Amino acid sequence: MRAQMPRAPRAVQARRTIVLAAAIAIAAAGCSSSSSSSSTTGTSTSTATSTATSTASAPASTSAVSTSQCGTKPGAAATGTPIALGAIVTNQPGTSFTDIPNMANAYFACVNANGGINGHPIKLYIETEQTNPAQIAADAKQLVQTDHVVGIVGNTSIIECSVDSSYWQKLGYDIIDSGIAPECYSTPNSAAVNMGPRYSSDGAVQYALSQHVNKIVFDQSNVPGTGYIAAGPAALAKAANVPIVQLTENVPISDADSVAIKEVDDAGPNGAVVLNFTPPEALVILQAAQKLGLEDRVKLWGCSTPCNTDFLAQSLGPKWNNKLFVNAELLPPDVTNTTTMNLYKAILKQYGSAVSGGIGSFSQMGFTEAEIAVHALDSVTGAYTVQSVNAAFQAVSNFNTGMLCQLWSYGSYSLHIPNNDDSTVTPDNGKMVTAQGCTQISSVDPQIAQYRSLAGTAAAAPAS
Amino acid sequence: MPPWSDFEPFIVSGLALGGVYALSGVGLVVLYRATGVLYLAFGAVGAMGALIAWSLGRENVPGWLTWLVCIAAAAVITLGYGLIFGPALAKRDPLVKAVATIGLTLILYGLMDLLWTSSGGQARSESLPTDNGGFSIGQIQVDWTQVIALAAGVVITVGTGVFLRYTKLGTAMRAMANDREITATLGVPVRKVEAAAWLGCGVLAGVAGLLLADLAALDATTLTFLVISSLAAVLIARLRSITLTFAAAILIGLLHDLLTPITALSNYQNMTPFVLAAAGLLVMSRRRVMTQSREEA
Amino acid sequence: MGADLGLRSTAGRQTSRRRPGRPQLIRAAVITVLLLFVLFGFPQLLSLYYIDTMTQVAVYSMVTLALGVLVGRVGLVSLGQVAVLAIGAWVAARLLFATAQPYPVILLEAGLITMVAGMVTGLPALRLRGLYLALITLMLAGAITVVLATVNFPNGGHGFLGYNGSLVHIPPIRRPSVAGSDPAYFRYAVIVAILMFLLVLAHTKTKPGRAWAAIRQSEPAALAAGINTTLYKLWALALASFITGVAGGVLAGAVHYLYSIGFPTQDSITLLAVTLMGGVYSMWGAVVAALLYQFLPALLNNWGVSADWLTILFGLGVLQVLTTAPAGLADQVPKDLARLARLLSRLLGRRTPAPGKTT
Repeated sequence: MRAQMPRAPRAVQARRTIVLAAAIAIAAAGCSSSSSSSSTTGTSTSTATSTATSTASAPASTSAVSTSQCGTKPGAAATGTPIALGAIVTNQPGTSFTDIPNMANAYFACVNANGGINGHPIKLYIETEQTNPAQIAADAKQLVQTDHVVGIVGNTSIIECSVDSSYWQKLGYDIIDSGIAPECYSTPNSAAVNMGPRYSSDGAVQYALSQHVNKIVFDQSNVPGTGYIAAGPAALAKAANVPIVQLTENVPISDADSVAIKEVDDAGPNGAVVLNFTPPEALVILQAAQKLGLEDRVKLWGCSTPCNTDFLAQSLGPKWNNKLFVNAELLPPDVTNTTTMNLYKAILKQYGSAVSGGIGSFSQMGFTEAEIAVHALDSVTGAYTVQSVNAAFQAVSNFNTGMLCQLWSYGSYSLHIPNNDDSTVTPDNGKMVTAQGCTQISSVDPQIAQYRSLAGTAAAAPAS
Repeated sequence: MPPWSDFEPFIVSGLALGGVYALSGVGLVVLYRATGVLYLAFGAVGAMGALIAWSLGRENVPGWLTWLVCIAAAAVITLGYGLIFGPALAKRDPLVKAVATIGLTLILYGLMDLLWTSSGGQARSESLPTDNGGFSIGQIQVDWTQVIALAAGVVITVGTGVFLRYTKLGTAMRAMANDREITATLGVPVRKVEAAAWLGCGVLAGVAGLLLADLAALDATTLTFLVISSLAAVLIARLRSITLTFAAAILIGLLHDLLTPITALSNYQNMTPFVLAAAGLLVMSRRRVMTQSREEA
Repeated sequence: MGADLGLRSTAGRQTSRRRPGRPQLIRAAVITVLLLFVLFGFPQLLSLYYIDTMTQVAVYSMVTLALGVLVGRVGLVSLGQVAVLAIGAWVAARLLFATAQPYPVILLEAGLITMVAGMVTGLPALRLRGLYLALITLMLAGAITVVLATVNFPNGGHGFLGYNGSLVHIPPIRRPSVAGSDPAYFRYAVIVAILMFLLVLAHTKTKPGRAWAAIRQSEPAALAAGINTTLYKLWALALASFITGVAGGVLAGAVHYLYSIGFPTQDSITLLAVTLMGGVYSMWGAVVAALLYQFLPALLNNWGVSADWLTILFGLGVLQVLTTAPAGLADQVPKDLARLARLLSRLLGRRTPAPGKTT
């Protein structure tokens, strides 16, 4: 017999109401969310928020590009059997890369509305994960065994490449991704459109070295792979005979002040501080440095590609003009007035309602990956199977994406670093402008050297 | 061992960090003294208020109004929680009451991520006008916001200490936190006092949220779980002394930052609050008497 | 007073019976059939996505079981169970990389080392009670998380820590030779989980179980009755740490790759929430909790519903459990179903069965 306090009926009803409310809420969420694991064209699966970066900054170009250019038969909606593709992306509080596959999906939506792939629409299944290896492995199996995807395009995850690499190899998938983990660049089955943290940090450090600093402080977030990432800058600094201090910070950073002080103290007045963080963390450090009045205490500040957003430029203010130099893996949207860039902006506007970050490197990456995939798929004759599609992906060679410094190739090498040429940008009163044009990442980084020995050096991409 | 001059700048930043912990920690202890509940949702409520303020700010609502809305939102959420769940859990162990606030924390945390989605390419930041002024101590600049945070910590410590001890309402709150039933039989208007306590707590949470969003980061995860680190100061003070909480928080912040120049230890500096709390608690509980009273000895 | 979550448990009721009566046998038979279905039916019926998910459910059911022992049987609320899991996983990974010992040996070693670690850190903390104890477990978990973030999980490197940060290819953690494939490993995990449940059952039905029940009722009274409360509390801590350590070992083999970001402090809070929701007083509660913690997110992920809704649900669940249904879903759902059955039969005009016949 249980001793209980006399229970008011009200409490029981309250309990039922709570549980009922929760159940309704979940059901409503399930119904309102527009899809299952697949993401359909252009619909937004997130509730409307006011977080979208203002894309109000008018594009430099005024040429009106019709989005129908994306497909082979403008205006003809594709109605054949869908070609299933898949993507796995990190989406957890504080880190969300969903913009990338969402933009790829927007591109596919455009293609589907304008002829598809030989009349077949593309259906992209997007699986989100929260950096849980078991979940990531399960997601891969879901894509292959339940969704029957024939290709993987748009993966962006902190650890997915490590977890699933052998699975993709075994099944023969050649994935096109935006890489982060080491395996995205060091395995035969993954080719990225970006440079990833290591090579992008290489680019930032390389620029700093070119400005004749006498010491480098390289600070990065403490997520998996720090040693691998640090090895690149270490090699570059060693070759230039410049001492380098390697630091890591646990993220999210709650004490940016001491981080900024530490970096500046270690670098000295003729040194450089190079950061490798996600935009929010980098912003916090730079803002702390500014509040403490430290930004001029070193010769220059550098940052890997994640810092390359207009949002950061706007938040930082004029003190960082020509003080902060950010490695840019993709052509800067604000100052590039080419057909492809305008097409990207147009597609983003028309089909990209699910892309909350607007114009920026994330959506650019998604666009580029989708572009490559469509280019490859267009060359497939016969049935769209795992073999035919991935053979086509692997056969992509010297493709001008219009978003990169070089032509992009997949190829059948044991490792892939197809984007190894980049520019450097600096904030200029709220926008990112070019400080140094396309420059090759130095072969002093052993991985880059190995890749170039296998694949050669890609030609520069003409403006398109 | 690095020279003394290497440590100097970290004294200032350590005090600032200590101020952050103090704001949160003092808030927690004040609430505990006034309501008997260790309000672990303190950070989450403040974060929600700050995010609401941020959203309004983007709609060009004037700054001072957004701050008021932030504080009001925090107050409303806290008051709501207190009125609905306070009486139901009033007779229960402090542990149960604290775990219940974990429930509120999870609800708010989930809501915040739904309403203000993380987007990989951007960050939110909240800045107060006091960020733009300051003075120098040595080579380091201190901005007014940090001074305000520290001052707010002091004011709250002293003010609420005085309030709880010397005013009628404060005494009633303390009595209620100790034993609600007996206080009710003494003729104290329990519901009103309870409402006042929760309302005050909510206001505190809102103010702290605004300051912390500026000083730390406007990020739901950071702000919500900052309470875990400030719990260290709260624990060292055995959840009783507001002044001791304040002092412990400052000490923790100082120690945390002073470890930065020591390269062998700097990777572990985030352990500072936890190690100090564990050590302090274990040292202070060396001799214990088993009691049957509700209050934790 | 202590940290009683509000209701006396039903565990004490059964410890006096020696010979199982008929209802007991029927129940045991039903459970056995259920388990056989899980072991052999699931791999046939479920896709690999759900098999992988169910493996995680098996792993975490051990963790929620351990937490249930601490919270439900002894009244020690631990806000750091995920950190203990991380220790178990770390030890298992290190041994799996460094030695070629058979898997069961490694699981045992992981469990024992975690047990020792749990006892060493827990013993001084046992002097505390209730809220203080819970908070200090949170502090200890926070400290362990920071250490883990710095030393990382073993990934095949050398040295004591076994971590090589510059690898471009990280080797996977191996699985037992008999259970390399996902369905086979699922069965392996379920079998290990069953063993852990039997271990807890053996404890609750014998002297430790009675001592724990006495301590949870009232520690001073138990002391006065001559029970060595420190010993039994330590025993519970040891058991919980052992089980969680073994679970960590199984987790290591399941995921192949371990990362410190996979064990954040806030997960311990969510774990406590689901354990309370599932019900800390019954062993079914541990399974329900694990389903909430691992299966529900996987299901919602498949439906495209954000995981945030689950966070909110868990928060609501905690509030609900603490205010109105302290025994959790495992206790409440059968009662609700019985009530629903009575309602239905009343509506259909048939004679209602005698009320009060629950579980």
